[in-house]
Amino acid sequence: MHSHALVSIMNKTKTKSLVKNIIITLSGLAVATAFAFLFFYHVPENSGNIAPIYILALIVIVRYTDGYLPGLVSSVIAVVCVNFLFTYPYFELNFTLSGYPITFLEMLGVTLLTCTMTTNMKQQARMIAEKDKLLSETEKEKMRANLLRAVSHDLRTPLTGIIGASSSYLDSNELLDESEKTAIVTHIREDADWLLNMVENLLSVTRIHDQSSAVKKTDESVEEIVSAAINRLKKRIPEASVNVSVPEDLLILPMDAILIEQVLINLLENAIVHSQSRKPILCYVDDDEHNVTFHVKDFGIGIDPERLNNIFDGNSYIGNSESDSKKGMGIGLSICKTIITAHNGTINAGNHEQGAEFYFTLPKGE
Amino acid sequence: MNLRHEILLIEDEKNICNFIATTLRTQNYKVSFAENAANGLSLAASGCPDLILLDLGLPDMDGIDVIRNVREWSNIPIIVISARTQEEEKVEALDAGADDYITKPFGTSELMARIRTALRRSSLNNGVPVSGQSRYTAKDLVIDYDKHTITVAGDIIHFTQIEYKILTFLARNAGKVITYDTLITHVWGPYADSNNRILRVNMANIRRKLEQNPADPQYIFTEIGIGYRMIDNENL
Repeated sequence: MHSHALVSIMNKTKTKSLVKNIIITLSGLAVATAFAFLFFYHVPENSGNIAPIYILALIVIVRYTDGYLPGLVSSVIAVVCVNFLFTYPYFELNFTLSGYPITFLEMLGVTLLTCTMTTNMKQQARMIAEKDKLLSETEKEKMRANLLRAVSHDLRTPLTGIIGASSSYLDSNELLDESEKTAIVTHIREDADWLLNMVENLLSVTRIHDQSSAVKKTDESVEEIVSAAINRLKKRIPEASVNVSVPEDLLILPMDAILIEQVLINLLENAIVHSQSRKPILCYVDDDEHNVTFHVKDFGIGIDPERLNNIFDGNSYIGNSESDSKKGMGIGLSICKTIITAHNGTINAGNHEQGAEFYFTLPKGE
Repeated sequence: MNLRHEILLIEDEKNICNFIATTLRTQNYKVSFAENAANGLSLAASGCPDLILLDLGLPDMDGIDVIRNVREWSNIPIIVISARTQEEEKVEALDAGADDYITKPFGTSELMARIRTALRRSSLNNGVPVSGQSRYTAKDLVIDYDKHTITVAGDIIHFTQIEYKILTFLARNAGKVITYDTLITHVWGPYADSNNRILRVNMANIRRKLEQNPADPQYIFTEIGIGYRMIDNENL
């Protein structure tokens, strides 16, 4: 069944290309003949220009058909046409005319040469395209491997914590007092929350189609996205304190709402976890003629200037201090970057006088 | 309130089943299980539970079809438990007749709150029809359906006809997610353009009249990609 389908598809493409070849050949010759007639009618004394018209047509036909056959067939037809229609005696075939074999060979030669050249050209183009595809695929493969490595690294740490804590709870249950038990379970809960956060981030990336790295955008109200992000953040971190504001005018932007919400949550959570400050985080939106910018500002220790350059690369946490390598936002930030780039926007990080600021800009569309 | 509510849990994942059942029992609910859709449907028909908790990813049948099946003969509140983050599926479940949804993983307090809301709404439906309520109260907001007035902290606030229609529809279904399509159909009729830009604009206006900070609302919450949920009516 499968192979049948395949054969029929192949047959179909074959028939299709055959039909295409025939159409191009016939129409090319018809156009050439029409021109030749026009020419012949207006300038009857100079019939030497008829052959070049056919040669031109032959080149065009060979260029746009596949294989040698259409070219050869049309060169024979062309020779016959020149002889039959435009050479005295008209409407009679006469191959004994002086110099006629030369015309014939000339046309055949042009056809064969052009055929070889265009076939070569097509082959080369195909080879270059294949090479490009292969290159971009290995590039993609490399990216995927890097991401997987980073992910497994990040996932292993909390999993180790969960497995260790739960087995120590089970193994030495009678030796632990109530407060120790609570501490262990709290620890498990924290690690599980962190894992959930990570998995949600990874899931969000699957919404970006890998081929075109484009997202499905719909018109969304900015304030609804911001408020939904704040709402979810507060559910996850109840003690979070955020001062949030949006412009007085309703802003509507084309975006994938789930993804932008994810970016906002990542940035807000990042600010809470890494600022080492309890001052409220500032989250606000402003806009100009073409863009809307979302700001997340904290009032904490700021970002190490050395890390600023590659903070969105996803591996900036490797080899950093202990606390960073555990709760590293490496993947979170690189996912933010991926999401914003897929929206044709930009994301930036920097320090202000009292802490760190992340902001991203999305185009307003038309 | 001595009557213990019976909850039917249709879920194929053993671990999750156990955890939900334990939590429900500690909250004094009666629990029955089904590990697939077929058993679930027969238990729903024979046991007449007060509420169904339904996992969408069942081995033998699509959860959406289970909802449609139950809705053919009953108004038992159904809360969908979904591991899927795809919002289309949630919308589909809600439009098929589910009362609410909760996304895995969820905390027990969240689950309990959803169950309480759904049960309260259904007992209300059985006694007084929803349209018979005369008042909605939440925090500083009071909606008096009879007098057609809306007040925040005692001050009367004026809404346009459309805004009033949206607001009262959300209020009468307080605690429940209302999908964009449901809301648009209710306010603008079944042949309305399903483009929800006009809805967004109206919601923005309502927010500016109702909320102190539109970016941090107290009364109407956005469920991204799905619809809106209004805070529970305290008057019940």
